[in-house]
Amino acid sequence: MRLSATQHLARRVAGRHPELPENIAGTLRLDLRDGGHTEHWYLTIGQQHVDVAPSADDAELIVRGDRGVFDRMAAGELHLAAALLRNDLTVQGNVQLLGTLRRLFPGPPDARHPREAAGERGGLA
Amino acid sequence: MRQELVHVIAGNSFAIGDAQGDIEVDPYAPIGLFSFDTRFLSRWVLTLDGQRMHALSRDDLTFFETRFVLVPGTASHYIDADVSVIRHRSIDDSFTERITVLNHSTQPTDFTLRLEIGSDFADIADIRDPAPHRVTAAADAARRELRLRYQRERFTRETLVTSTADGEVDERGMTFRIRVAADGEWSTDLHVRALIHGAAGRDLRADLDSHRHAVHRSMREDLAGWRDRAPRLIAEREALVRAYDCALTDLAALRYTPLSYRERVPVGGLPWAMALYGRDAMITCLETLPFTPELSPATLRLLALLQGGQLDDQHDEEPGKILVELRYGEVAAFDEQPTALYYGAADTTPLFVILLDEYERWSGDAALVRQLRHPARMALDWIDEYGDACGDGYLRYQRRNTRNGLVNQGWRNSPDAIVDRHGRQPAFPRATCELQGYAYDAKIRGARLAREFWDDPAYADRLEADAARLRERFNRDFWLPQREYYALALEPDGTPVDALTSHLGHLLWSGIVEPERAGALAAHLCGPELFSGWGVRTYAAGQRPYNPVGAHLGAVWPADNALIATGLRRYGYDAEAARIAAGIFAVAETLEGSLPEVIAGYPRPVTKYPVQLPAAGRPQSWSSGAVLMLLGTLLGLRPCGDNLLVNPALPEGFGRIELLDVPGRWGRSDAYGRDRVTGGRPRAR
Repeated sequence: MRLSATQHLARRVAGRHPELPENIAGTLRLDLRDGGHTEHWYLTIGQQHVDVAPSADDAELIVRGDRGVFDRMAAGELHLAAALLRNDLTVQGNVQLLGTLRRLFPGPPDARHPREAAGERGGLA
Repeated sequence: MRQELVHVIAGNSFAIGDAQGDIEVDPYAPIGLFSFDTRFLSRWVLTLDGQRMHALSRDDLTFFETRFVLVPGTASHYIDADVSVIRHRSIDDSFTERITVLNHSTQPTDFTLRLEIGSDFADIADIRDPAPHRVTAAADAARRELRLRYQRERFTRETLVTSTADGEVDERGMTFRIRVAADGEWSTDLHVRALIHGAAGRDLRADLDSHRHAVHRSMREDLAGWRDRAPRLIAEREALVRAYDCALTDLAALRYTPLSYRERVPVGGLPWAMALYGRDAMITCLETLPFTPELSPATLRLLALLQGGQLDDQHDEEPGKILVELRYGEVAAFDEQPTALYYGAADTTPLFVILLDEYERWSGDAALVRQLRHPARMALDWIDEYGDACGDGYLRYQRRNTRNGLVNQGWRNSPDAIVDRHGRQPAFPRATCELQGYAYDAKIRGARLAREFWDDPAYADRLEADAARLRERFNRDFWLPQREYYALALEPDGTPVDALTSHLGHLLWSGIVEPERAGALAAHLCGPELFSGWGVRTYAAGQRPYNPVGAHLGAVWPADNALIATGLRRYGYDAEAARIAAGIFAVAETLEGSLPEVIAGYPRPVTKYPVQLPAAGRPQSWSSGAVLMLLGTLLGLRPCGDNLLVNPALPEGFGRIELLDVPGRWGRSDAYGRDRVTGGRPRAR
């Protein structure tokens, strides 16, 4: 099922994340622009745990973009680093938290495990 | 014949022009002012009264500063100029050129000085055939500025040129109509800023804490500090000192601060690799630990931040994998190349663990090992979970990005690099031999880190048992008993790829080789098929694909040779190590200046001179680092507990060497060595 960014944040981001280093901590705010309206999501990261709350408080890193850009990110269709270079997302503050944000969003839905790819296409690639 | 090219460098910003200081597009060379992988100036041509200039002299003051003394006219004319022009250019965060016009006549004289200015905003990845870009130009004479701008959707790059002197500004340049007094001079400072637009048209870097806090350093002070922190070399052989000084300066020039970061890390090198390459950066760190250890923690922390987190075919990414290339240009931004974050390498991940352990052995920086526990664990898990693509216990690669991912994902990354003695390409996924050595070494070192710093003895035991099994399997499956060397690779069905290559040296370096087999490897490495006289060829002569100018099929890489020499000493083959080191130092001494990335594999007696390949970069971080590693290897520098061990084995004719103030967990310590008469001692077979 394709989740919107808002659904992804509420259902998949909040909670425990063993894939995050235990010593990474910080606050991060996502500003989803939608016409004249902006929706704010506030992420508090620490001890491999993420809290998600709708809040416009100041955070160590602020990431801004159109709602559609975040929706594509939630669907695994958008590469964060490329979006940043294209200026589709803008950031302000401690960008070291960007690596953490990347891990909280999925990769492309059709991606394969190397073993799966090896099985599919043995021989000369 | 093509003209000589002149460069100035500051991290990933650099300018390359001709001997007059002019910049004109050349499809075969990256000429221009580049920053963050984009060309911001592709035209920068000076004329005086309509005439092009001719260089009388040039002074390359430092890597970031050059002064050209010019007169109007071409070399074919008799020069008796009443006027000369000095262009003094420097680069740091931006590019500055001071143009001074000197009137040598006894009359006040009028001149028209014209600077043609243009940019194509080409991505360096696209330089041979750049996509046409619609560039807008805005001339503002009142502000003495010319603004060139390229926009694609929200992606905007801008070149802002300003002059301190008044002049006419048009969309193609600036014109200064000046009167210079008798024996007088006139000058202007031209300032060029390369802007990467972020939010609300501000430069992206203005919004990043990492870059706001980066104080504008004085380049001179910075270079002086860098050199002061490095050990001092005193040697009877002066060429050795020159090679060492040059390598240190190159390494200073080739550091940059990535967008998401505060510290500086090594770029690959000039001109094609002025970006972060995970492999090149880590090898450079490994080469330079006894000399410039500050590169290592910065590189390790950055690569940990950028560690792979997802499965992503386009970027050949898997959780735990360590990055191989990071670019900021247009083709990365629009995913035309996967280089915004590219992970197509199977060696970077074990190298990360190797570097972390080796750095701790030298520095005693236990805090970093604890801080990076999680990424190091992920890297070790990656080797078994994702690297072992056939489930047979070998680290392998096969690109999932078949459009523009790299076919070969080790350091021999040209498409035809992995072939058997007859030129046949093996099937994928490929298990090249050096990957098994690195994986073995990473597990052994990971076990030490787990036991000593992570309080996880059970994990350490598991890693050691894994490593022992890998070593046994490797020595059974890769060994070619008739040929007495290890196969270059194994195919998925276990068929060995029988080529003889310099990878044997990497195996010695990693420690996966059974000691009783090391002698045969040393003999191959110093034998006529592999050793050219300058160094060990990537691929041995006498095999069908051998080509002395093939980057990975016969050419000689200093970085490769540094690891080989270190591997030979690890197994006690000191004379062989000295012979290889002497060959590479001879390249440095003969060519003078920076050691190139690669030279041709012709036999030394045939060419007498190291033949450079046109595509080879220079300076290149891991080649400059090779000079340092070879020096450290000849002196036998090794950390042992809290002491620096020194066990010199110098080539004949090297005389006495003193390396003073080697930094490490001991504080500072000195190392001394002297060559010995080698008669009567076993020599290379």
